Amino acid sequence: MKHTDFISSIQVAGIIASTIIGVPLMVLPRFIVAEVGEAAILASVVGLILSSISLIAITELGKKYKEYTIIGCNRLLLGKYIGNLLNVLIIVSMMIVMGLEVRQFAEVLASGLLPNTPIEFSIIIMIFLCTLAGFRNVSTFAYIHFFYLPFLLIPMVFLLFSIKDLETYHLLPVFGHELSLFQFMKGAFLMMAAITNYFVVAMLIPYIKDHENCVKNGIWGLFLGGLAILFCIVMTLGVFGVQELELLYWPVLSLSRIIQIPGEVLSRIDAIILITWIFAVFTTLFSHYFVAVRGTAEIFRTDKFNLISTIMVPFIYVIALIPDNIYEIYDYWINTAFFVLIIYIALPIGLLIIGRIRKRVRVQ
Amino acid sequence: MSPFFKKSNPNTDQTLRYLESKIVNEHKNKPISGSLEDNIQLLKNIFEKDLDYSFRRFELFNQIPSAIIYFQSLVDKEKINQDIIKLLQEHRMVEENKDKIPQYIIENVLYYNDTTTVKDMSKIISAIMQGKAVVFIDGCLEALELDVLQLEKRSIDEPDTERAVRGPRDGFIEQLSINISLLRYRLPIPEFRVEETEVGVRTKTKVAVCYIEDIANPALVEEVKQRIDAIEIDGILDSGYIEQMIEDNPKSPFPQVINTERPTKVVGNLLEGRVAILMNGSPSALVVPVTFSQFYQATEDYNEHWVISSFVRIFRIIALVFSLTFSSIYITFISFHPELIPAKYVVAATSGRHSIPFPVMFEVLMMELSMEVLREASVRMPQQVGGALSIVGVLVVGQAAVQAGFVSPITVVIIGMSTIGSFAVPSYNAANTFRMLRFALILLAGTLGLLGIAIGLMVVVNHMLSLRSFGVPYIAPYAPLNIKALKDSIVRAPFYQLKKRPQNIYPQDQTRMGEMVEDHTDYNFLEERKREKR
Repeated sequence: MKHTDFISSIQVAGIIASTIIGVPLMVLPRFIVAEVGEAAILASVVGLILSSISLIAITELGKKYKEYTIIGCNRLLLGKYIGNLLNVLIIVSMMIVMGLEVRQFAEVLASGLLPNTPIEFSIIIMIFLCTLAGFRNVSTFAYIHFFYLPFLLIPMVFLLFSIKDLETYHLLPVFGHELSLFQFMKGAFLMMAAITNYFVVAMLIPYIKDHENCVKNGIWGLFLGGLAILFCIVMTLGVFGVQELELLYWPVLSLSRIIQIPGEVLSRIDAIILITWIFAVFTTLFSHYFVAVRGTAEIFRTDKFNLISTIMVPFIYVIALIPDNIYEIYDYWINTAFFVLIIYIALPIGLLIIGRIRKRVRVQ
Repeated sequence: MSPFFKKSNPNTDQTLRYLESKIVNEHKNKPISGSLEDNIQLLKNIFEKDLDYSFRRFELFNQIPSAIIYFQSLVDKEKINQDIIKLLQEHRMVEENKDKIPQYIIENVLYYNDTTTVKDMSKIISAIMQGKAVVFIDGCLEALELDVLQLEKRSIDEPDTERAVRGPRDGFIEQLSINISLLRYRLPIPEFRVEETEVGVRTKTKVAVCYIEDIANPALVEEVKQRIDAIEIDGILDSGYIEQMIEDNPKSPFPQVINTERPTKVVGNLLEGRVAILMNGSPSALVVPVTFSQFYQATEDYNEHWVISSFVRIFRIIALVFSLTFSSIYITFISFHPELIPAKYVVAATSGRHSIPFPVMFEVLMMELSMEVLREASVRMPQQVGGALSIVGVLVVGQAAVQAGFVSPITVVIIGMSTIGSFAVPSYNAANTFRMLRFALILLAGTLGLLGIAIGLMVVVNHMLSLRSFGVPYIAPYAPLNIKALKDSIVRAPFYQLKKRPQNIYPQDQTRMGEMVEDHTDYNFLEERKREKR
């Protein structure tokens, strides 16, 4: 009795939400606020809406080519050579993104939880955790994301306790102070770059059971994850205000340190929030890793996922160690984010257009 | 007694030949001889040295020399004397044709019901070994085979490993036929199937696959049969052998098959559409497929009121989580994150530790180890010395260790709670798994603090999420999430909410109950009757 390896569109929504909530959660409020000031909320909403372009493009692509992953689509529509070149590009960029994110994770951990543990150790243990989770079974991948999702939303509940420190005047004016459109869009772009990381959906297309509901449910998932991040931005901005927020390196971590929960069960809850954040980081990294490993396997047409994922460990580890310090990490991160965004958004749209043109050519 | 399915590939036995009995193989497809002396001699050559081998000559119908052969240790001698030999000697022959004698005896002489005729020598040899008596008749090419097996049985009493406050008290015993009768009288329906096969080349153990035909998914039944068929082993001594050979992931420490000694539990599972595997010689039945939530559920939950059982279930889950994580969380709080402990409690939590020479991890590990040793010792010890053990345990592990400055009092409390927690889980093997994983978590927590616990828990959870039991996701109904099935998971909803059988095992017939009996009155209608009478 083979179990059918299918996932539902609701599971896809869960995957999107838990992938979005991840590493950038800690640092994103400062980034956006530094760029657009009080307009951060509006800018993130715009970013969230812009991000759904990628989702709609990917799901539309899935509706058209139900049997192909993005790797297969590239090969089908662009030919063997150009397609595989793009595929390699996707995989390499995924590995770079994963390496940088795991490095960020280790840096946050070193400052928040384990000051004496070398960051190399947390990096390698996180990569191994992803490797151990296994890539053979797509439904297991979906289960993992869906199972952790409630835990990722726990910090949001804890952050609610800080609502008494929230000052409304910190959030106003909504349009910011004398902001040019370019600056505003830069903030929106940052939000978009941070949450458009659910490219893994493009690798799941052949396994989705109901393509019809995929757009609708996918948008729900996107908004669930996006709203969680937006909530963090609102809370940090509302509590700290622009001036203070620009000084805090990891605003969400700082916010969690000042939260006091009633009843004095625990005197501080930043460790609890960090734990749930570790879960969030894992699900995000696992998604990136999934694309890299399954993509490589598809290029070479094999199913030795364990071998591929083990071979990738040292590469990701080395990528994670390239930046010299935290400031450099974020420079790298912004640059790759821009490049990766092209893959996330332009590639599926481009494939859709090429698909249509080719069809027309064939019809004539 | 016919095996329910042919071995999938009888010709592949080549590699297995060393496992098969040589003597049986030699006589395979060999017809018995017409001469009584030859047959007796042949069997005598094989069983000569055995203490309990016996044969008795007599004259059939007072004229034809015959012999009955059996193993004393396996048979009911009274039956052989009274029901077989006596009748065969006293009857006067009517039938003349010698070849028809065996059939004539079955039809007209013996009133004994488990009687067949056999021709093959190898079958006769196996039959004698299984507690049958064989009657050879001189000049006849067929022998009579009579089932006179009698074994000592213990009485049916409540299983020690699964106690229940409320519910039936009977438990399975070692004899398969009696276990099946315990199921049959609870399920008096023609759809209840008990299919039988043999496993073990040497032990020839009877294994029965039980299911309800119109509920269980046929694909599931087929898969169970196939997996049992695929077992190639010399012998199985307990259903644990089968469990380990048919489970989906043999490397996993998690139990993927339920074993139970309670017939009610088996029947309950059969009614949900699962398949039970019973075995001769083992009092525990296996049930597949399972989900993890079944390991913290007990049959008792369905007997008590749903509010009470839901309450109890929640506590069982807390106990399960305690047994896994409590000691490791304690380690991280004390040695990595004292800032998490509320300010008023910091002094109390740490003051007991000032004289302890070891790091917390070492202290906890030592205590956990001694608890494990104590537990194991109390299982193996004869009951008479059990009392002494508990005294030693309390004194040495508890008070003396604290007074000697080996461990802090809080550590003792923590270890006590996590140990008790693992005993509150109804399923012994699931509790064992968690107890084992606890040690890994302690090591991780001692080295990496909260990160270690998070990583350790994630490895465990990811592994559980990747497990399948006969194709059914192990963590169902949580992943994949099934809102309807959540009614019978952490809580047990009232019966009128549980109208459908669990969906994750895809039963054929999904409805299990109709409408709830409605409350008819909200006033004392007896009083009214009384008034009417007046």
